[in-house]
Amino acid sequence: MAWVAIILAGFCEVFGVAMMNRFQLDRKLSTVLLLIISFGVSLLLLSYAMNTVSMGIAYAVWTGIGTVGGALVGMIFFGESTNWRRILFIIMILTAAVGLKLAS
Amino acid sequence: MFASVFFRLFSMKGDIMLRHWLIVLIAVLFEVGWVVGLKHAHTPLAWIVTVIAVCFTFYLLLVAGKYLPVGTVYTVFAGLGTAGTVLVGAFVFGESLNAIKIVLLLLLMAGVIGLKLVTPASTETEGDS
Repeated sequence: MAWVAIILAGFCEVFGVAMMNRFQLDRKLSTVLLLIISFGVSLLLLSYAMNTVSMGIAYAVWTGIGTVGGALVGMIFFGESTNWRRILFIIMILTAAVGLKLAS
Repeated sequence: MFASVFFRLFSMKGDIMLRHWLIVLIAVLFEVGWVVGLKHAHTPLAWIVTVIAVCFTFYLLLVAGKYLPVGTVYTVFAGLGTAGTVLVGAFVFGESLNAIKIVLLLLLMAGVIGLKLVTPASTETEGDS
């Protein structure tokens, strides 16, 4: 469950960052609330995961999932480049995250 | 004392770049601080301090990003934040660390930094200074 929580926490962080970008355009209170909720849920999930997964590894994987998620959202929804270097780094992060799960 | 150190840092004369890199380093310290809080905070006060540290980290990065290239700031911040968290976990809280985990953590950090560096910045705050 802890690893599921880390993955969900990473997704919430990606959503939070997306809301941060949207706020720069729309300046709406609802966007700010979504931003605060998504970061709040992300940190709660990360905190929950840290009950069983060590702090350093949980944080590192959370950062990795957030970065990969952000890149994938950019590629899928905003037409960002999908060049081989970006794909390679994404595979590197995911490989390392799976390895850390297996090594923990 | 704490407040006066901050005041000095923000009002210090001299190299504006250096000053903002110092702000990035302080942001890393707060980042490691709130991560420790997420795991080890058990009282309401400790949680409040943790949440303040999260907000303050964001604020410091925004300040630094106004004068430094955002991509580079994030890269340095993410690298030091991960390394700092792992080291504090291992040496202060006795979390287990072995060669395999270190190699995997380095691979993950390299991936995060690499991905950030090859991703073109879309914000206008990106500078070349």
